[in-house]
Amino acid sequence: MISLAGRDILHSWGKFVFTGIGLGLLIGVTLTMAGVYRGMVDDAQAMLDNSGADLWVVQRNTLGPYAEPSSINDDVDRSIRAMPGVARAANVTYLTMQIGHAGRDVRVMVVGIKAASPGEPGQPPHLIAGRQIVRAHYEAVADVKTGFRLGDVVQVRRNRYKVVGLTSRMVSSGGDPMLFIPLKDAQQAQFLKDSDAIVRQRARTARNPALNPPGNPGMVDAVTASQTSNPYVNAVLVQIKEGFSPDQVAEPIRRWQRLTVYTRAEMEEILVDKLIATSARQIGMFLVILSIVSAAIVAFIIYTLTMGKIREIAVLKLIGTRNRTISFMILQQALGLGLIGFVVGKIAATAWAPIFPKYVLLLSSDSVRGFIAVMVICAIASLLAIRAALRIDPAEAIGG
Amino acid sequence: MADGIRIENLVKTYGEGETAVHALQGVDMHVGPGEVVGLIGPSGSGKSTLLKCLGAVIEPTSGRMTIGEQTIYDNEWKIPDLRALRRDRIGFIFQSPYLIPFLDVTDNVALLPMLAGVTNAKARAHAVELLTALDVAHRAKAMPSQLSGGEQQRVAIARALVSRPPVILADEPTAPLDGERALAVVKILNDMAARYQTAIIIVTHDEKIIPTFKRLYHIRDGRTHEEGGRVEPAS
Ligand SMILES: Nc1ncnc2c1ncn2[C@@H]1O[C@H](COP(=O)(O)OP(=O)(O)OP(=O)(O)O)[C@@H](O)[C@H]1O
Ligand SMILES: [Mg+2]
Repeated sequence: MISLAGRDILHSWGKFVFTGIGLGLLIGVTLTMAGVYRGMVDDAQAMLDNSGADLWVVQRNTLGPYAEPSSINDDVDRSIRAMPGVARAANVTYLTMQIGHAGRDVRVMVVGIKAASPGEPGQPPHLIAGRQIVRAHYEAVADVKTGFRLGDVVQVRRNRYKVVGLTSRMVSSGGDPMLFIPLKDAQQAQFLKDSDAIVRQRARTARNPALNPPGNPGMVDAVTASQTSNPYVNAVLVQIKEGFSPDQVAEPIRRWQRLTVYTRAEMEEILVDKLIATSARQIGMFLVILSIVSAAIVAFIIYTLTMGKIREIAVLKLIGTRNRTISFMILQQALGLGLIGFVVGKIAATAWAPIFPKYVLLLSSDSVRGFIAVMVICAIASLLAIRAALRIDPAEAIGG
Repeated sequence: MADGIRIENLVKTYGEGETAVHALQGVDMHVGPGEVVGLIGPSGSGKSTLLKCLGAVIEPTSGRMTIGEQTIYDNEWKIPDLRALRRDRIGFIFQSPYLIPFLDVTDNVALLPMLAGVTNAKARAHAVELLTALDVAHRAKAMPSQLSGGEQQRVAIARALVSRPPVILADEPTAPLDGERALAVVKILNDMAARYQTAIIIVTHDEKIIPTFKRLYHIRDGRTHEEGGRVEPAS
């Protein structure tokens, strides 16, 4: 048996290859869009995984600490540690901000963790260079994606931090790399007022006779100190003891501490289904539009190629070629075009994915799905040309 | 295949009522096996219409057509699969060769047998045999666009002959060729008819080749008139 489609493609390969490349770039964009979504989900999951937490304890009735602000007292961790089934509990703060470094701004998620407590939840689990934070102040561990290097000094708000360690795959659910600093510093950075505000606040306190009674000169200082101290964190991360289920541990914390507690599954739902859902729909829209554009291109090209062969198809029909053979030829050409496009697209997506600022995760399952979609779209797009070819009258070959 | 082609009282009317065109109004014709006859007539006299009816691509209005011993039409089609009839029993040659541009010369000729399930090697061997007989074997690997008009037409003839059809219908096969080449093509068709016992009808306007026909049908006002007996050897 002879493959008419294959021979036609070989004969006019230029047309097929150039169309295939154009189509391929579209398919590459489509695969990348899917990869961007996968990357977002993976970032979120990596963040949850690397936090090492089984439970997230946050302010009551909030979706904190990642999807909504949450603020709880920094002594709650002690009472949580005493709850049944709790192995470890650690305070943590999160603050996304822009940091100027080496002449450019880097968007990072500043994470406040307790110094010198490796293995606690919230700590960077693995370093690729340097060491963990051991001093209570002015040291930092950065994700490599920040671009910071060991020994760099970076400024967060009013303080400067020396990068003593580098970690990797520690990103926020938005894809921003993490910068770990000691908890006390982080609390200050998060809740700190600037010095002018403090001076004004102090003056206001001093003018208030209730807070600055004559005859008690120490009181105004105590009040000011309490006003400027920051006994808050965003969440307490909890690791549970073996033999306990997350719900089993979470339930008494909810009831007795009057706090909201999320398990890993609930946290994932908040991040993936709520936070990323809009982006996913956005990407879904793009995928639909790109599919339609690809289909239109394939349909147009295959239709044009077929119409350019009206005479030959009429002759083929006249000399007794089956309609099936002719339809199959056109279908095969459309699929061939799709195949070229897919290969080009896959290569393009793989080549340009690392250049993207955010993590692009190309799953082979998505490629398989994409391949099937391309083939289905090409098959549908060829229907128009097949219909036109079947309408060609074999009498046309004889002419007038 | 005793009887070649026999056409009796064939009528074809295009359209109906006011706009009806009476293209064929009772055509009678007979072409024996191994015989080549010419069909001439003024423009619009119904020559192409006759070939289309015989080629089973349009349906006549009434009459009778027989190929070999089989009646293919008797006021209605007598064969269920006209496509197979065309494939197995009728070879077509057109004014333009209409070769498939993306197949080389050999595969253009071998295409039908290959599609019909003959192995590629066997179909190609047979194609080369025919191309040799038609003196274009040296161009067997060329693409159609690389051939001269006369070479293309000979390839088209090879294609028409490949399934050894008992009937070949040629509509102005020499139109694009100069005198010498036109005569060569007619000679080839005569040789092939003699060799394979094919009944061949050649529609033509071509003054140069008309004298070569032993028998000639004239078609006028949708009716045929035989002008046989011209004793001009087909050489
Ligand atoms: N599809 C059709 N519908 C209506 N009328 C047609 C059709 N095809 C041909 N005719 C008419 O039938 C008549 C015969 O046409 P035909 O094509 O058979 O002529 P011809 O002898 O081949 O002419 P020429 O030498 O110019 O090719 C003409 O009057 C033509 O206008
Ligand atoms: Mg005609």
